[in-house]
Amino acid sequence: MTYIEAQGILNKAKELKTEGFDLLLSIFAQETAENIECIYHFCSTINNQEIILKTKLDKNNPRIESISSLYKTADWNERETFDLFGVEFLNHPNLKRILLPNDWKGHPLRKDYKQDDERLSWNER
Amino acid sequence: MAINNGLKVILTSVDWVYNWAHSNSLWPLTFATSCCGIEMISTSAASYDIARFGSEVFRATPRQADLIITAGTITHKMAPALVRLYEQMPEPKYVMAMGACTITGGMFENDSYSVVRGVDRLIPVDIFIPGCPPRPEALLDGLIQLQKKIRTETLADRKKYLEVHKPRVKLPEDDSEILLAVEGIEIMQWGIQDKALPLDNIEMVKR
Ligand code: SF4
Repeated sequence: MTYIEAQGILNKAKELKTEGFDLLLSIFAQETAENIECIYHFCSTINNQEIILKTKLDKNNPRIESISSLYKTADWNERETFDLFGVEFLNHPNLKRILLPNDWKGHPLRKDYKQDDERLSWNER
Repeated sequence: MAINNGLKVILTSVDWVYNWAHSNSLWPLTFATSCCGIEMISTSAASYDIARFGSEVFRATPRQADLIITAGTITHKMAPALVRLYEQMPEPKYVMAMGACTITGGMFENDSYSVVRGVDRLIPVDIFIPGCPPRPEALLDGLIQLQKKIRTETLADRKKYLEVHKPRVKLPEDDSEILLAVEGIEIMQWGIQDKALPLDNIEMVKR
C-alpha cells in the first residue's frame, strides 16, 4: 500500500500497466477527518501481485484524473465513486450517476449527507 | 325482482367458473431483484414444484402475467421499473410481497438512503409473505391464500377492484427517475410519530 500524489495517478497507472499490472480490481473512496481518499486496487495476473494506491483529495472539491483511458474497468468504478462520494474524475468519457436515480440530490456516503428531498416524502419511516 | 335474482344466479355461476379457471392458472412474472429470488426459483424447481398449483409458467413479459411476486429489495433506481411493469400487466392482476425487504424495507429499513420501505408504498399488495427469505413452503402457502382470495371475488365488484388496484405513486413526466407521491393516498408510516416518547423513556432509565 502506498500513498501517492493525486496529480501523478495517470503516470503511475501507465507505469504499473507496463510492469504487468493488467487488472484493475476496484476504485473507491473513503472519507477521513481531513480528506477524501481515493483507493485503487491493481492486480497482476502475470506475476501474481497486488498493489493498493491511495490518494488524498481535497474534501470541498475532490477531483482527480480519470484512468479510464488505460483501464476500461475504471469507467464504471469511477462513475460509482462519483455517485456516492462526489469525486470528480477529469476527462472521464461519461461521468454521470450509475447506482442512484439520475436527479438524486447529494452524495450519500459523505459524512455530511442528509436526506431531505421532499419528493421522497412517501418513503419516510 | 325475479330477473334480478336470475341475473345474480347466472353471475355467481360465471364467477365460480371464472375464478376457478383464474385461480388455478396464476402466471407469475419473472421478477427477482435479490436473494429472495433464489428462493422463488427453488420453489419453481422440481423439489417444491410450484406447478402443482398451476403457476409454473414464469412469464418474461408483464403482458402475459397476472401475478407479480416482488422477490427482493426494491431500490429507488428499480422502483420506476417496478411501477411500469405493474402498469403493463393486464387486469386482473395481483401482487405478492415476498420477504422482509418488500414488506417494510427489511434490514435496510432503518436508515438506508436508497431502499424503498416496502412495495406497498408503490403498488397495492394482496399477500404479504414474511421471512428473510421465506421458505418455499411459505411462498406456496401465500399462493394458496391468494387462490382462496381470488375465489371469493365476484365480477360485480369490478369497480371496487379497479379502485383498489391503482399504483400509489406516479412516474414523473420529465426524464427524472424519482417517483412522486399521488395526492390523497395515505401511506402507513411506523416511525416515531410521538416525539416525546423516547425522551420519557430516557428519564425512566435515569431514575
Ligand atoms: S428479505 Fe432477506 S432474503 Fe429477501 S431480499 Fe431481503 S434481505 Fe434478501
